[in-house]
Amino acid sequence: MVSDSITNAPIPSAPNSRDFSKKKRANRSAKLKQCKLDARREQWLSQGAVKSKGCKEEGNCARKERNRSLENPRRRDEDNNNNNNGSIHHESDSESPSNSPTNSLLGGGSGSDSGTNFIGSSSSSSSSISSSSSGGCCSGSISEEEEEDGCLDDWEAVADALAADDDNNKSEPEHENSYSQSPSESQLSMQSDSMPELTDGIGLDSVNSMTESAGMVPRMSGNNTRAWRPDDAYRPQSLPNLAKQRSFPVTNRHFGHGGVPWACNNVLTAPSSCPICYEDLDLTDSSFLPCLCGFRLCLFCHKRILEEDGRCPGCRKPYEHDQVESEASVQGSSLTFRLARSCSMVARS
Amino acid sequence: MATVNGYQGNTPVAAPAGTAASKQPVNAAKIVDTQSVLKRLQSELMALMMSGDSGISAFPEEDNIFCWKGTIQGSKDTVFEGTEYKLSLSFPNDYPFKPPKVKFETGCFHPNVDVYGNICLDILQDKWSSAYDVRTILISIQSLLGEPNISSPLNSQAAQLWSNQEEYRKMVEKLYKPGSA
Repeated sequence: MVSDSITNAPIPSAPNSRDFSKKKRANRSAKLKQCKLDARREQWLSQGAVKSKGCKEEGNCARKERNRSLENPRRRDEDNNNNNNGSIHHESDSESPSNSPTNSLLGGGSGSDSGTNFIGSSSSSSSSISSSSSGGCCSGSISEEEEEDGCLDDWEAVADALAADDDNNKSEPEHENSYSQSPSESQLSMQSDSMPELTDGIGLDSVNSMTESAGMVPRMSGNNTRAWRPDDAYRPQSLPNLAKQRSFPVTNRHFGHGGVPWACNNVLTAPSSCPICYEDLDLTDSSFLPCLCGFRLCLFCHKRILEEDGRCPGCRKPYEHDQVESEASVQGSSLTFRLARSCSMVARS
Repeated sequence: MATVNGYQGNTPVAAPAGTAASKQPVNAAKIVDTQSVLKRLQSELMALMMSGDSGISAFPEEDNIFCWKGTIQGSKDTVFEGTEYKLSLSFPNDYPFKPPKVKFETGCFHPNVDVYGNICLDILQDKWSSAYDVRTILISIQSLLGEPNISSPLNSQAAQLWSNQEEYRKMVEKLYKPGSA
């Protein structure tokens, strides 16, 4: 691993990687990267004061990363010794002390992907350049969350294009990687050994917490250049959840069907439909209490039963018209109460 | 007016051409009845399929919702455990005010079932209530299997043998023909 970091880290020097970019990639992406670095540096310099406040929520994540970044200077020294003509960009990047956390955060994914992520968001809107560059650690960029839906298409397109580009130039991502990131990180140099499986496991903690707290859009591995799947564990929570929306009518339907057997079995509370003909009970039917046993049915079925055997379906006793009707008029208050309940049942189902 | 309460092959009878004017209101009322029976049966089917009761099932025949085929599994810890019986249910046009006709299609050695599959069950005759439905009928028949009414048997041999459960179990297994319909 040490040898990896040594072999990988010294490579970056601005002219070199520029040459790579000119050869193998469009000028545009190199300029975007340059833009990105400048913007990030400015952002971090300007946020040096704000930062101490901003870190409260993701303290765990940021602190972890900082511990990691504390190790970096030593390595950086070694690297610089090995590679004394370290690039200007390299130096300026790693010199700003608050920069390392971001880099290690972005480095949670494989290098080429974090670069992709950045370019995507910056190309989608100019204002997100600053926010996404700082969002990894503490600023908790709100604008990023708002823009995610809108920029997703552009971002995806750029990401796909870059991924295809990376496939063509296998060697380049490493240089790009160490160029755009702080090159002296042990974590990063290990990842750049074209081991996408490992990067998932390593960067999982930091990237995950970053997703939750700051709303950033991390890229996990080079293999995954598609949009977020609904069941993706790393899917930002701010994206609309289709599964939730879909489940809503399902529960509604469940209640609706549950009402049918309920209406049959529980005859003491007012059913929403007639248990005989299954037609909905209207207000007149709901207030109609033909038998002392409490069995309710619609007026039509009641009339039909009176024409035939004249017995209550609930208790098999013959209907006693006069008694029931006087009962109903006496129990006016309880009737209104039951009426209200039946209304609420209808509304619920 | 045999058609009003009559039992005409379980299907709604179309008004014959050239019906006298005096009969038309009757036929119109009959059509309304048939529609309400259809709604009731469809709702019952839905409720039965949603209820998920174990050991009972029923479904209409292909082209006639007034004729259903049901199955009942013998309850656990009874002599009928492990057996399954097919039944036919045919609903009259004035269902649920009149009970459906229910018969065993599979031969069933039971005190209250005769050799033709007819069932002697009070709720299917005089104790019928329009509040009963297919589900409660099947559950009642399922419980009737394990708790026969010995006092008024249709199958006297079965009624006599009921006291000896081991022998009864052997007889059930001997006579059980799941394929017969």
